[in-house]
Amino acid sequence: MPTGALQQPGAAAPPASARASLGALFIEFIKISMLGFGGGIVLAHRCAVERRRWLTEAEFADALTLCQFMPGPNVVGIAVCIGAKTRGLLGALTAFAGFALIPGTIGFMLAVLYLGQARIPLVQHTLTGISAAAAGLMIGTGLRFLRPHWRDPRAMTLAGAAFLGLAIIKLPLLLILAVLAPLGIAMTALMRPRTS
Amino acid sequence: MSPLSRLTLFLALMSSVSFGGIPSVLPDIHDFVVTAHGWLTDRDFSNFFALAQTIPGPNMIMMMGLVGWKVGGIPGAMAAAGATAIPPCTMYFIGYRLWDRFRDASWQKLVRASLAPFTFGLVVAGGTVMAETGDKSWAAIAISAASVILLLTTRRNPLWMLGAAALLGALGLV
Repeated sequence: MPTGALQQPGAAAPPASARASLGALFIEFIKISMLGFGGGIVLAHRCAVERRRWLTEAEFADALTLCQFMPGPNVVGIAVCIGAKTRGLLGALTAFAGFALIPGTIGFMLAVLYLGQARIPLVQHTLTGISAAAAGLMIGTGLRFLRPHWRDPRAMTLAGAAFLGLAIIKLPLLLILAVLAPLGIAMTALMRPRTS
Repeated sequence: MSPLSRLTLFLALMSSVSFGGIPSVLPDIHDFVVTAHGWLTDRDFSNFFALAQTIPGPNMIMMMGLVGWKVGGIPGAMAAAGATAIPPCTMYFIGYRLWDRFRDASWQKLVRASLAPFTFGLVVAGGTVMAETGDKSWAAIAISAASVILLLTTRRNPLWMLGAAALLGALGLV
């Protein structure tokens, strides 16, 4: 429904709280959680930024960055942040409940059931297919976030360093966050007088 | 202290320091529940991990729920899942409030300008690692590649791609 209503990027968005009802937060996060194979970032972005317009692209990127650098299950953090941004504490609790409580309970019961059974090949094959698509969607989402920075050599160097460290050299994530990230901040600070 | 209280406290501590996500503390959790206490076998632990990856929902919270279930039944599952979710979520909330309040501060603009592209790189890397471990055939690699391209070039709902890939998998083509 609301897709396409506010297409021009410069348009001032109405306050997020006016648009996000607690019921919608709850239902949307149940959907994101239950359908978000391989992490809900792709669907959370689709829902909160593109479809419902609860957050701007920049605000979503902001929340994602914060969650990446805080301890805990990151995608749940996105739910908490979107809830907090749109409806405060109650919104955060509602989004968390939608994301974790019901899907978590269903998932847990499925897991317990499944552990009692022999492995079913059809399920295994289906999941192999889903996992392949989910991996691609995640790569695509990351690239989409990077698209506005395509021509910014500083940003692309940082993104490249993070990618290289995690996917190619296979450094532990903790090391990447603790060492490469501060280097990135230092680099940005040093370059700032000239670029801005 | 009962095994369940010990597990709950330990998980609350681990989730509070799990920078980069729960997987970063999985080796420590493994040592605690398998090696040190013998509550689970090695096989249980890796089965739970694989299962949590494939079932949609909050994967790591579910996985810890399964660990708790093994230690203390349903109450154990609830305690372990709570210990995994509640401390970080409290921090996310407080952290986000502060982060959002100071969003125009110059230090934050600097931090954001550096860390945002970094985070995007990590997302791309996360997907790449997932493809590397999950894609065992050329067909699977093709599906991953097609998903990247479709997501970048169309505005179609990603659920279509997940559904189509599920179907191809079910037909035994992946």
